[in-house]
This record gives sequence, structure tokens and C-alpha cells, in this order.
Amino acid sequence: MTDVTAAPARGPGLSEDWRAALTGSVASITLTFIVVVAIGWFWVGPKFLSFGNISIIGTFVIVPLIVGAFAGFALLSGVVDLSIGSMVGFSSALFALLLSLGWDPASAGAVTLLACLCFGGINAIAIVGFGAEPIAATLGMLVALRGIAWVLLGSQGSIFAFNLDMFNLVSMTVGGLPLFFLLAIALTLVAALVVTKTRVGRHIRAVGGDDKAAARAGISVKKVRVAALLLSAFGAGLGGIVYAAQLGSAARATGFGLEFQVYAALMIGGYSILRGGVGNPIGGALGLLAVAGVSNILDLKAISPYFVNIIVGLLLLAAVLLDRIRGGDAYE
Amino acid sequence: MSLNPAIETAPPAAPIKARLGGWGTGLMLLAVWLLLIAATSLYRPDFFSHQTMLAVTFTMAVVGVLAIGQGIVAMSGGFIDLSQPANMILASLVAVRLSEAGMPLAVVIVGAILAGMLWGAFNAAIIVFAKLNPVIVTLATNFIGLAALFLVFQLAEVPIGSEIYHFGRASFLGLPAIFWPMLALVLVVGFLVPRTRYGRRMIAVGGNRAAAKARGISLKATRFATFMAAGGFVGFAAVLFAATAGPFNPGSANTLQLNIIAGVILAGISLAGGRGNFWMLLLSVGFLSTIPTSLVFFGLSSDTQSIFQGFILVIAVAIDGWRARRATP
Repeated sequence: MTDVTAAPARGPGLSEDWRAALTGSVASITLTFIVVVAIGWFWVGPKFLSFGNISIIGTFVIVPLIVGAFAGFALLSGVVDLSIGSMVGFSSALFALLLSLGWDPASAGAVTLLACLCFGGINAIAIVGFGAEPIAATLGMLVALRGIAWVLLGSQGSIFAFNLDMFNLVSMTVGGLPLFFLLAIALTLVAALVVTKTRVGRHIRAVGGDDKAAARAGISVKKVRVAALLLSAFGAGLGGIVYAAQLGSAARATGFGLEFQVYAALMIGGYSILRGGVGNPIGGALGLLAVAGVSNILDLKAISPYFVNIIVGLLLLAAVLLDRIRGGDAYE
Repeated sequence: MSLNPAIETAPPAAPIKARLGGWGTGLMLLAVWLLLIAATSLYRPDFFSHQTMLAVTFTMAVVGVLAIGQGIVAMSGGFIDLSQPANMILASLVAVRLSEAGMPLAVVIVGAILAGMLWGAFNAAIIVFAKLNPVIVTLATNFIGLAALFLVFQLAEVPIGSEIYHFGRASFLGLPAIFWPMLALVLVVGFLVPRTRYGRRMIAVGGNRAAAKARGISLKATRFATFMAAGGFVGFAAVLFAATAGPFNPGSANTLQLNIIAGVILAGISLAGGRGNFWMLLLSVGFLSTIPTSLVFFGLSSDTQSIFQGFILVIAVAIDGWRARRATP
């Protein structure tokens, strides 16, 4: 698995690096992304690339970008965490509840993140400790957390917790673009650096690629996977807090179905939910942006939003097929 | 990852093991179920009533038939069919349209089953010809299918007074009529799978596909057969669903998914394939279907139901993983 950020100029490795960069998953998602932008530009017009419209898309993808950047670590290490959608809902519910009880945002945020880490820890115990099937175990956690979030939200089904300072912070713009969108992009780039350039990143990819070989090489497979699942829970918790700040409230629908949206986009971006070691945060972010672009185009053209899911489903199948042709596992 | 083809693990599943392996699970399930019933009855003696029996068996019907389909997919090494919601809504829509056209109940049932099998064949075609993992394929087809169904209809309902409408409200021997076909199907499938050539092939492919292939079993044919059979069960579940659900929309089946996967895993039908006993579904589905009624008697809101069901699944999967790890050192 190579990517565009791989160091280019270093002797004989150069041509292979470039060939891999041109045929790898990041290359195909970059192409998909360019096609989406081109369609938007030709069909919607220059308005599509205006600062105003990019801000709308940007505000929309802040939370998916944050959640996706962290969840990508779990995918890379070979465990999928389906509970992230409900974790976002739970986090926004708990955060809003604490704010409505008069807590200050900082301590409410800290407690919320801690609670998310605890549930991530339960995921880790079940999956790493007992060897539970990640998809099924985190599906259970998804439902449990949804129940907990709904209990927290009470009979009203929503909690109003508007905080002007926080709202101003998340709505701040820098150079015409939302600050938090730029921060999410920066987070993606940092994650990409960690994955490709650091020892930790190499260990995570090694564990995901072949856990037995990684164990023989002296890497603690368990430690890496526990850390990855905790990171995934942390990212979802962060996403929920940002949602609550953006919306000024938490509701039953917050985060509902987000896991499928995020994973479909991440898989379109080159990750795999069934095999670790493949994918790159930049590819994942481009996948999320491409999907957000598609739904923005359909929105501007007043086409039923259900077509987004149809397009996402088809893109997903195409992406997995490409991954298999590139050397992914064939299923018989 | 454990979801990948387990070629080098697990010896070819012996049918004997498949027949006998589930009884420990069965005793444990029965004990947990009885414990739940006893605890609720102690707290609220009026729990132990015909009304509760009706509620539990009513819930069991649709979930049980869907669980047979999910169990077939899991046992044959197809892991999970995530497209059951889209499939069931599609078949339910067929059932509604056929009964609106005044067709007799038999035609409605056959139509829904065929729709379900067609969907299964569609999944199998992508899985077999593109050689893609069923989990991702069914995730994508569920996405596409539900969105397409939303474009086709918003709300549907079987016509009041039609045959299927009366079937959904009838009772037989003191229990809902829809319960009996589910019971019969679980018993028949559980009896036939370990005792017929087709059933044993399915178990063999699920347990060790390389060995099964070496023995001359066609993986492609088995894959098509299992997904179409599973789809057929979803189609029949759709009849029971449409008969009883009242007005439904394309999203109405989404909440069933987890209960079904939980039921299959609790029954000891391993997601890794090749292991399990369908009869155990009666206990696991019965237990899971008692929880909602039980919680109502404990005075807990219906939201807490998800908390219990979710954590039960986490625990069940952890036990399943623990067992699989011990079985393959």
C-alpha cells in the first residue's frame, strides 16, 4: 500500500513509488474526486466552486472528517468499529445534557470524551480480549449506545443546549472557509503523516496487513488494536461534541446511520472494512469529500437525495472491485 | 482478520458435530430464558399470562424466519447478509401489490418468496462473479435497494379485509397464526440441514471451503443456492411482516436487523461458518423476543430495550469468539 505522500526522490525507489502512486487507491479516489468536481462545475456552474458553496459542503463534512480520520486507524489495524455512529449520538447527548445542567463546556467535554473511551474500552475487551467478531460486537455496541443516548435525551427526544461562545467558535471562518473544516483537513494531514511516516503508523499497518507476521516481528498486536479502538471511540466522541456545538442541541437523529455513511465513503477512498493495512487518511478524506460533493450537486439540482445512496452504493461496489483487482482478497 | 476466508483453520465440519454441538448452547440459552421469565414473574406475577405468550410468539414469527435465512448465510461461510431489510421490504411490497390485485393468499406467498429468491440471486451474482465479500456486497445492495424502494413508494399496507390481512390477525391453538409456519420451518430446516446432501454441502463449504472444493463441491453453485434459499426465507418472512405490520415504509425493517444477527449468534451458529444447529434458533429468538415484554413489566421505557439487546449481542459475540479461539489453537 503506497500513497501520494510517500517520499518521491530517493534513488532507485523513485519509479516504483510513482508507479504505485499512479495505480494505488489514492490515485483512483483522486480521480473520482476530480470527476465529481468537474461534473459539479459543468453541470451546476461556477457557483459550485464558490467560497459560499464550498463552505456549505465544508460545514457538512466537518464531523464525518473528524470521525473518519480516527476510525481509519481502527480499519488500518484490521478491526472495524461500527459503533461510531451511535457513539457520536451518545456523545452529543451526554455533552448537551451536562451543558444543560450548568456544566462549563471544558469539563463537560472532558467527561464526555472519557465516557466514550470507556465504551471504546468495552469494544476492545470484547474484540481483542475475547476474540469477538468486530463487525458483530460493535454492531451490538451501536444498538446499546443508541439506547443509552435515547435514555439520556429523555421523553422529549432532544436536549437544547445552546452555548453562544461555542457556536461562535465552530462557525468561525478563516479566509472564507469554516475554521473547523480547515482544522479537520489539518487533522487528516497529521493522521496521514502518522500513518505513513512514523514507526507507530508502520506498526498499525503491519498489524492490519498480517497480524501473525507483525507478532513475529515483535509488535504487540493486542496493544495496537486496543489503541486503535480507543482512538476510534475518541474521534466519535469529538465528533459528537462538535455536532452539539454546531446545532446547539442533541436529538435522537444525531449520528443515526453515520457509521454506514462514513465507512462507505472511507471504502470508496481506499480503506477496507474487512482487511487491515490498506488505505490512507488522505484517500479517506477525499472519499468523504467526493460523497459530500455528489450530495451537494444533487441538492443544488433539486434531485431526490435517495439517489445519493444509490450512487454511493455503486461507487462502493466499484471501489471494492478495484481493490480486489489491485490485489485484495478474492472471495470464493 | 477473522472474517477473511478461514482456509487453513477448522477441519471440515463433521455432520455429527453439527448435530450434537449445539446442545450445551441450548441448555445455557434455556437457563437464561427461564431466568428472565422467573425474574419478571417474581416482580410482576401477572407477567405469566396468555397475553405475554401472545406477545412473545407474535414477535418471534418474523424474527425467527429471518433468522433462518441469516443462519443459512452464516453457516455456509457467507458471514452476514446485511441486505435483509431491503430484501424484506421489496418482498413485502410485492405481497401488498399482489393482494391489492385480489390474488389468493397462496399466490401472494409464492410471489413474495420468488421476489426474495430473486434478490438473493442478485446478491449471489455479484458475490460470485465479482468475487467480492458478501458483507460489503450486501451492505451496498441494502444501501441501493432501500434508496430505490424509497423512490418507488413511501407507505404501503395490505388491503383491509384481504386474505393476508385476516391471516395476520388469525389465531390457531391459542397462538397467533403467523407463529406456526415459523415453528414448522425452524423444525424442518433444523432437521434437514445435517441430514441431507445439500445441507451437508452447505456446512462443508462454510467450515472449510478449500477442502470442500477439493472434494468436488462447486463453490459457485453452493453460494447461489444458499443466498437464494436465504432470500426465499426473507420473502416468506415478508409475508408474515406485511400481514401484521400495518402501514410500513422502506425503513420499517431496519430495526429488525440486529435482533436477527443476535439470535443467530446466540443460537451458536458461528459467523465463521460451518457450525450450528437451527433448532437453537427457537430458544435464542424466544429469549430475545421475551425481553421487550419483560422490560415493559419492569416498567422500563422501550429505549432501554436497545441497551439490553445491544449488550447481550456484545456478550454473545465475545463468547462466540472465545469458543472459536479455543477450538482453533
